[in-house]
Amino acid sequence: MADSRATLRSSPGLALFSALVYLFLYAPILVLVVFSFNAGRLTAEWQGFTFAWYAKLLHNPQILSALRNSLVVATASTVACTILGTAAALAFHKHRFRKQAAMDALITVPIVVPEIVLASSLVLLFAAIGLRLGFFTVILAHIAFSVSYAVVVVRSRLAGFDRSLEEAAADLGAGPWATFWKVTLPGIAPGVLAGALLVFALSIDDYVITSFVAGVGATTLPIQIYSMVRTGISPEINAVSTILLAATSLLLFAAYRLEQGRSARTAVIPIVLSLGLLGAPFFLGGRAASGDKVLNVYIWSNYISPETVKKFEQRYGVHVNVDLYDTNEAMLAKVATGNVAYDILCPSNYPVESLRHQNLLLPLDHTALPHLTNIDPRFLDQAYDPGNRYSVPYFWGTGGIAYDKTKVGTVDSWAALWDARWKGRILMLDDPREAIGATFKWKGLSYNTVDEAKLFEARRLLMEQKKLVKTYNASNFEDVLLSRDVWLAQGWNGQFAKVMADDHELTYVIPKEGASMFVDSLVIPASAPHPELAHAFIDFTLEPEIAAEICRTMQYSTPNRAALPLLPAAIRDNPAIFPPDDVVGRLELIHDIGESTVLYDRLWTEVKTSE
Amino acid sequence: MKGARRQAILLLLPCLLALLVLFLLPQVLMFATSLGRRSAYGGVIRDVSLLNYVRALDPIYLRILARSVGLAFFTTLFCLLMAYPVSYWLGVKAPEKWRNALLVLVILPFWTSFLVRMYAWVFMLRTEGLLNLFLGELGIAPLNMLYNDFAVMLGQVYGELPFMILPLYASIEKLDRSLLEAAADLGASPLRSLWRVTIPLTAPGIVAGSVLVFIPSLGAYLAPDLLGGARTVYIGNLIQSQFAVARDMPFGSALSFLLSLTVLVLLYVFRRPLRASQA
Repeated sequence: MADSRATLRSSPGLALFSALVYLFLYAPILVLVVFSFNAGRLTAEWQGFTFAWYAKLLHNPQILSALRNSLVVATASTVACTILGTAAALAFHKHRFRKQAAMDALITVPIVVPEIVLASSLVLLFAAIGLRLGFFTVILAHIAFSVSYAVVVVRSRLAGFDRSLEEAAADLGAGPWATFWKVTLPGIAPGVLAGALLVFALSIDDYVITSFVAGVGATTLPIQIYSMVRTGISPEINAVSTILLAATSLLLFAAYRLEQGRSARTAVIPIVLSLGLLGAPFFLGGRAASGDKVLNVYIWSNYISPETVKKFEQRYGVHVNVDLYDTNEAMLAKVATGNVAYDILCPSNYPVESLRHQNLLLPLDHTALPHLTNIDPRFLDQAYDPGNRYSVPYFWGTGGIAYDKTKVGTVDSWAALWDARWKGRILMLDDPREAIGATFKWKGLSYNTVDEAKLFEARRLLMEQKKLVKTYNASNFEDVLLSRDVWLAQGWNGQFAKVMADDHELTYVIPKEGASMFVDSLVIPASAPHPELAHAFIDFTLEPEIAAEICRTMQYSTPNRAALPLLPAAIRDNPAIFPPDDVVGRLELIHDIGESTVLYDRLWTEVKTSE
Repeated sequence: MKGARRQAILLLLPCLLALLVLFLLPQVLMFATSLGRRSAYGGVIRDVSLLNYVRALDPIYLRILARSVGLAFFTTLFCLLMAYPVSYWLGVKAPEKWRNALLVLVILPFWTSFLVRMYAWVFMLRTEGLLNLFLGELGIAPLNMLYNDFAVMLGQVYGELPFMILPLYASIEKLDRSLLEAAADLGASPLRSLWRVTIPLTAPGIVAGSVLVFIPSLGAYLAPDLLGGARTVYIGNLIQSQFAVARDMPFGSALSFLLSLTVLVLLYVFRRPLRASQA
């Protein structure tokens, strides 16, 4: 009735513009849905239709359990935030408080604070009150960062809500509850729903904060996804994203039908389908039987396969929780609080130093590690842990250059990354120690140089180089090379080796001046609840067959001599994975340089902000 | 009236308590950290010193802050320009029975990881990506769309747009349409009635949306990293790197405290329109 000429006049221009905006919002979604059915693994070309990625999902217990965790966390935080947020919005609507401005600030600031800050501050909080990191802390953290959104959304809806309706209801004798249920809630329902949808979406998508506050067994889908994204956008991720989208769409479709006043029967099918999809992860994939002995492992993503874990579980009759991290710092932040219950960690060489100096590691009982003799002595007794009192090498690798030999020819020096012929075709690691270190190595200096004058000279060289550099990247650099956005890329060998297996135009070189080397080791934190089982696990990974399996499935270099003969020739003879001895002689470990870390970071910031 | 006040306080209390314990208390702990020093091995040495704040005033960091404000401003502007027509169409022109469904469609993409969607953009924008393949079919030479400021802006607008559409829609939808009719009856052109009636009446939505977009954009770091190729540093990246690379928690805490302070100042400056949006 209110709609007359003014509002009903159709406006094709407006409708078209809106359609284009919707297309903008959905373009990436369309891409990922379509490519979840693409037979090819890593290309933009269509290579045929397949359901293979969906089938693979069903057999991936890690993804299923991550999905399960995400759904539980998102549901819990949505319920909590919607109730808290709606109540607060109603309070503001009903009454003007004296300290209104302060409260507004308290509600708005959490929206702006960078996730990483909220993450670290919450780690401090949980440590201060002695709340052990786990599932519950994840839910609390999600409430912390999303409750403000719920308040803001509901409040903007309430702003135009006609209070005279409530007053009329009260005048007609309705009690406060009746007024709320019959008048207020229906009026603000769209706002409450919008708030709930937003909170759910924020929760199911959060990576940074969750990765800091998650404890044993609380790996969520984004953490799992992030670890998979590191090796390029995988079709399996597209598949799991598609399923999640389908389930949500069905659920919302059902809600929509009900709201339209259709009979409940028409909503049954979409609801059943949706709950089936969302519930599947709760039925598929085994879960720990309660009361079992457990071992809690916190390790780099892509460092151990589910099959290997299963073998250990079967031999010892225990359950193993595997949680993943992607930076040493995320792991250090948690372990430094002593507030987690992990039995095994896998830090790189310099964090071992840091953990050791902060007395956070348990000295190893070498009598419980009879297979330690399998480790190549070249990797033992290093400066970061003399006598291997605390750490046992697990994987090692190098930081060199991978390039397209058909486009660049042969590269044997770091100078290639400063060669003007490759302008706009160069990728540098977004890592001050590796980038500045490579510059030093090129000029015949050490990766661990701390002399100020020399550091300033390295900064000058890197600033000069910047106009040739296409991108700085320390996560999926091999994918950028594979797509040929760049032709030369500085990076770590394990990730390059994976794409080189499919793309024979790529090759990897340790420059003649030398390169960096890292060793990732297994350690037991001082606070480990199951140190005996942790020793058994470390020794298990040292057995030749197991070490070979880990190396074969993950394609990083094993320091285990006894495992080498058991490896397929394609891996053993791959110079990118196992460089020849004379090349190994040119490698240098990156050490913790203490105070100088700050100067490195400052210079790197200057390079990156220069024009 | 006394009862109403007590009721309001009871309603507010749980949310306030949650924010005090889960947000304010951790921030206080962070502030305490920002007065300390980094130990040689990346730990925190407790201290009471403003050294980290002095360090933050270095021109290089101030430039980074200015650049972040610029990014947030343009993100907000483009979001507003894109979102207003859509929200208007949704709230006024779109067929009523489709309205809720269309609204839900705005937020549905959020059920997919932001990271995954960012990588999907990389997949489309890169030199041999989908868009350039398509342009190639049309005989157009490949464009450089990735790893530059354009890509950063695109990623930012893409990520924040729904946060602008939702509050705008909320305030446009409850617009009293008889006012628009009255304006038309009195001979106002559609543009004039938009300028004199619709926009002033939806100002609360505009302010709420702008705050919801501007503020998180200040701390943006994923789009600069993934789509911008990390060729520029914004304040979000700088803070991120203090925690994740330099392991300098005291300095990172100081920077983030300054960022929160900036936000508080902004909220204070815009307190009037904000209050109007929440009255």
